[in-house]
Amino acid sequence: MLAMWLGFDDQGDRLSLGRKLWEINWGFVLLVVLLASVGFAVLYSAAGGDLDPWASRQITRFGVGVLLMLTVAVIDIRVSLRFAYVFYAISLVLLVAVELVGKVGMGAQRWLHLGVIQIQPSELMKISLILALGRYFHGLSIEDVGRLRWLIVPVVMCLAPAVLVMKQPDLGTALMLLSIGGALLFLVGVRIWKFATVIALGLVMLPIAYAKLHDYQRRRIEIFLDPEQDPLGAGYHILQSKIALGSGGMFGKGYLQGTQSHLSFLPEHHTDFIFTTLAEEFGMVGGLVLISLYVLLLIYGYAIAFRSRSQYGRLVGLGVTVMLFVYFYVNIAMVSGLLPVVGIPLPLLSYGGTAMMTLMMGFGLLLSVYVHRDIEIPRRIGGI
Amino acid sequence: MIGRFRKPKPKPTCTPADISARPSLVKLDGRMKEAVETGRGRLVFGGMLFAGVFVVLVGRLAWLTVPASLVSEPSMARGDGGSARGFAPAMERRTITDRNGTMIATNLRMASLYADTRQIGNPDETANRLLTVLPDLPREELVGRLGSGKSFVWLKRNLTPRQQYEINRLGLPGLMFQDEERRLYPLGPLAVHVVGYTDIDRRGISGIEQTLDEELRDTAKAGEPLELALDLRVQHALRDEIGRSVEYFDAIGGGGLVLDINTGEVLGLVSLPDFDPIRPGTASDEARFNRITLGVYEMGSTMKTINTAMVLENGNAKINSSYDASRPIVVGRFTIKDDHAKNRWLTVPEIYKYSSNIGSAKMAVEAGPAVQRAFLDRLGLLKKAQIELPEVGAPLVPRNWKTVETMTISFGHGLSISPLQLGVATAAIANGGILRPATLLKRPEGVAVPGTRVVRPDVSDLMRKLMYLVVDEGTGKQAAVDGYLVGGKTGTSEKVGAHGGYMRKKLMTSFVGVFPLNKPRYLVIGVLDEPKGRKETYGFATAGWNSAPTVGRVISRIAPILGVEPVDDNSPQVQQVMSLGVHAPQSEKKIASN
Repeated sequence: MLAMWLGFDDQGDRLSLGRKLWEINWGFVLLVVLLASVGFAVLYSAAGGDLDPWASRQITRFGVGVLLMLTVAVIDIRVSLRFAYVFYAISLVLLVAVELVGKVGMGAQRWLHLGVIQIQPSELMKISLILALGRYFHGLSIEDVGRLRWLIVPVVMCLAPAVLVMKQPDLGTALMLLSIGGALLFLVGVRIWKFATVIALGLVMLPIAYAKLHDYQRRRIEIFLDPEQDPLGAGYHILQSKIALGSGGMFGKGYLQGTQSHLSFLPEHHTDFIFTTLAEEFGMVGGLVLISLYVLLLIYGYAIAFRSRSQYGRLVGLGVTVMLFVYFYVNIAMVSGLLPVVGIPLPLLSYGGTAMMTLMMGFGLLLSVYVHRDIEIPRRIGGI
Repeated sequence: MIGRFRKPKPKPTCTPADISARPSLVKLDGRMKEAVETGRGRLVFGGMLFAGVFVVLVGRLAWLTVPASLVSEPSMARGDGGSARGFAPAMERRTITDRNGTMIATNLRMASLYADTRQIGNPDETANRLLTVLPDLPREELVGRLGSGKSFVWLKRNLTPRQQYEINRLGLPGLMFQDEERRLYPLGPLAVHVVGYTDIDRRGISGIEQTLDEELRDTAKAGEPLELALDLRVQHALRDEIGRSVEYFDAIGGGGLVLDINTGEVLGLVSLPDFDPIRPGTASDEARFNRITLGVYEMGSTMKTINTAMVLENGNAKINSSYDASRPIVVGRFTIKDDHAKNRWLTVPEIYKYSSNIGSAKMAVEAGPAVQRAFLDRLGLLKKAQIELPEVGAPLVPRNWKTVETMTISFGHGLSISPLQLGVATAAIANGGILRPATLLKRPEGVAVPGTRVVRPDVSDLMRKLMYLVVDEGTGKQAAVDGYLVGGKTGTSEKVGAHGGYMRKKLMTSFVGVFPLNKPRYLVIGVLDEPKGRKETYGFATAGWNSAPTVGRVISRIAPILGVEPVDDNSPQVQQVMSLGVHAPQSEKKIASN
């Protein structure tokens, strides 16, 4: 029974567990460990040269995350395909539940208590959306993709969670869900003019949306455009971040020597603004090395997606890669003042468990795509 | 590793099996091709987007970081070379840094405007044109100065480069610039009560700037910064936490002090409210008042540390002696009562732990006024504190020092001292018994600082254990910090009203903490002036509810910065070392002579 659930009953292309572990792309795993280790080092420094309170906990979390990643990696890709809609439905129900009974933390209602653990359904939704869209487009022919009526379902699939998350309110995650969905629609070949129409509509709606934003969100956008107008209030984050980046210079002040971050001039120096903490101590060169590592990780993700024989694998691979890309790009652009401050952490480095687990689950799926790259999946999967 | 992707054949979006299932293969083939082209094009576009973003982020990072280093390096070189631009660095007032070399006070070159009025033909006209650039100058006064006929009158000090440029452009005869330096404090109010400030001619008129004015102007030492004992990281944490408590408990002010008890170095000194030293003129008297060194207060129960040490040192009591605290003492028109009354006989540790006024008074009476006076004098509590600041308050010593005064001083009333004095005296009792004056200047590392012995090492040892008792199970529980052995004493006193007499609702609360007790090194004082009770403190406004947790939070922030090794404070070894070995509270009864 278990074997069937895990997809091993399918004759012809099943792999043993040992074989699967051997097939895992260990280069990718190494890169992930390397990035996380950079994070530990920076957290150690941000605590003034102490494992407590951040680095030690982050190491534990990452350990759990690696186990999760490897477990997901060896599960047959067809299992996630089969249950894609179920995952999506559960995530959606949880999102609705959080709306009704969720816990309010930091002024937003994002958390759900399930006995001993707390979960943030909006994080689960990121993965579920990738899987559900992957399954949907896997079953669609290229002609259908071109037809408008076949696009109604995926567009609703993206919009429904985005609207729920927006209500929490969590603008960052909502935009992230929309960009993941949009990127996947783009990559499966939806006509350019349809995107153009949506973007044009969006621009028309912009003033209305702006009026509907929360005061603090509107303030952030105004401050983004001109941070000097309120240097001690709403513009404080971004100015301090720029000061710290600038004070790092070419080669930085040296490990454990950052002053802006250690003297808590820089807020959130261990979470969203961890890149600044790193760049202050290791300078531009350190920042460039880190960005290069991320780009290498993105290239890996892209290559793995390319290499998959099934449309589903390809889409899941691309979805995870796009998610990583959005995290990484939005965070670094935010701390360097290119984008307004939206609370998006730097993947693998920022202190915090939820985003870490989402990412590790995503990486697990990506590895699973790689392990099962040569498995061909028929378009109609009703039979399995 | 990329090599593992040996076969990067992009697969068509449909599998051949799907195609063969369709009837019209030719037409589909054309569509297929188109679809594959679209798919590939989109993937390539995606890849280009990644690359583009990489370029954008790298560019942004370079923009933010590189100019800083390119600009700062040559300017530093110029500072070293000095003569390149023809100005002598010897003119500069010395910079002031903290113990780690972080800048606290520095100078900025600015131009000041003056006039040789003999060259000015029409003062009215000159004034009008000058006012277009400097509209803030009072017109009448300006015309008066310009028409004075003197060869030198100041018009405006410390111009911005833009103002200087605009005035030059006016092309008015008789106006000239003098290059000057302006004293700047980049960290604003952070250390204002230590560093002080200067007047417009860069003469120190407050704080270290005043006391060490000569030293700071010394041309022989120009370019060599004056290093303070202060650690800005500690100072910041201290100011942050005291400020937070002042706000939270709605106090009218507060103060904090961090001392290295083995050297007397002041690592942090905060008095709130404070002000930005760049604009001392706009600060209120309240903000300019240094509550730690200039203010003298009846410190309340924190004085019991000194009282207990005195009695133990003088041999009037042993650690297991006990005193009758079952009913209040009535002396003349005074009644001495306990706030946490137990109404029974108490041992010395219990008197200290429960902060018993009755017990403390009886202990002090055994020693007597003469011994008490001599002991407090030895601890430096009867004369002005010694520190490199002009703002130092003299203690208020009772003129008539009899038995009643001895009783009240034992629990901190009737003698007003500054929190700094209390800190220095407590430091001596906790560090093994050596009194060393406080200093704001960094002492050379590794050199032992001389001092005078005030109590025996074994008394100091007992006192540390008593201080631990207060935090472990007494009135100071909220000062406990996970992983560090903290000891201390709470103190709450009613303030004296303008017309004499104590005001029940206006309190002054303090906590004096010492850590780590396993290797005593630092002393932290937190003082709050008129804190109010809150719902969270069940309406209490006494020190155990506000000053103690404040000091606890300060310690939890500065201990890691100061490199204090944490210990497991619940381990049996620690408990055993910190134990007093006194279990039976009434083992030896001793009746006070009074």
